[in-house]
Amino acid sequence: MASPSPNDYMESKSIELDQSAIAAFASQFDPQPYHLDASAADQSIFGGLCASGWHIAALATRLVIETLLANGLPFVEMSSVSWLKWSRPTFVNEQISVRVTLGTSDEESPIANTRCQTLEIEVCNGNGAIVATMTAKAAIAIDAALAEST
Amino acid sequence: MTDLYLRDRWFEDLPVGEFHVFGSHTFSELEIVEFAKNFDPRPESTDPEQARLNHRQGLTASPWLLTAMWMRKMVDYMEVYAQGVNDGRRNGAGVAISDLQWLEPVRPGHTLTYTYEIIAKPGQVIREKWGMIRSRNEAFNQYGNKVMQFDIDILAERRPQESGDPQQ
Repeated sequence: MASPSPNDYMESKSIELDQSAIAAFASQFDPQPYHLDASAADQSIFGGLCASGWHIAALATRLVIETLLANGLPFVEMSSVSWLKWSRPTFVNEQISVRVTLGTSDEESPIANTRCQTLEIEVCNGNGAIVATMTAKAAIAIDAALAEST
Repeated sequence: MTDLYLRDRWFEDLPVGEFHVFGSHTFSELEIVEFAKNFDPRPESTDPEQARLNHRQGLTASPWLLTAMWMRKMVDYMEVYAQGVNDGRRNGAGVAISDLQWLEPVRPGHTLTYTYEIIAKPGQVIREKWGMIRSRNEAFNQYGNKVMQFDIDILAERRPQESGDPQQ
């Protein structure tokens, strides 16, 4: 696939991840030392306190949904992720945002009155470096009433 | 806590085909709503009244709550599975997932049981210290229906080379 020009993708706002946000997710769902304990994190594979990759995936999806809605695409549900790669950690006080490129899919959506949309998603930090890439399929409403109710 | 078999496991000790049922969890309405408010705000997960009108006809869990709980159950299980992993230096990391599918909605009161099977050891070595383990992960609800599946590549620490086993 050719690399997209800047006009090809939609861009989200940014979310900043401070230590309390990272700890709030990690203490409940991913209580490993590199997400909770700064000195242990320094000695870890990541080399510093950083967010859980699952936290990043959830927040990225939230940003994707907001971005689709803001661009007139009535998101209903994410149904699958064919590929998700975490490229670098998101450290304390870094920001993340997403770039969404619309792919093509001839798959039928299992949900009535929706179509299947492939999404190529890049999650970037405040320096523009990619922290994760994700290819996902989402159901997009093709019926105004369904769009209203979701 | 003193089981040497468990505490001494390294990348080399993890065989393809090993299978674990490593945890189960019943999702409450409060938990579904709280997760969605904090991490994935959508009406079908944050507002039980509005959710009745949507295509799922009721409150359903964020798909990322199901993976987050997978992670929690895996972390809890690692303590049993390989003692000493949780000191922060031996913890590996997830690298990539593929073929993640959410197959059925999960509603308040549903119980998921998580399973894990090592399906490959792709052979990459990262910074000398880490080997790659590929596992297939599935979650089944209380009816035995599969509601989620994915494959994940996770780094596991290789047995130290020079000084042999540091444990006595």
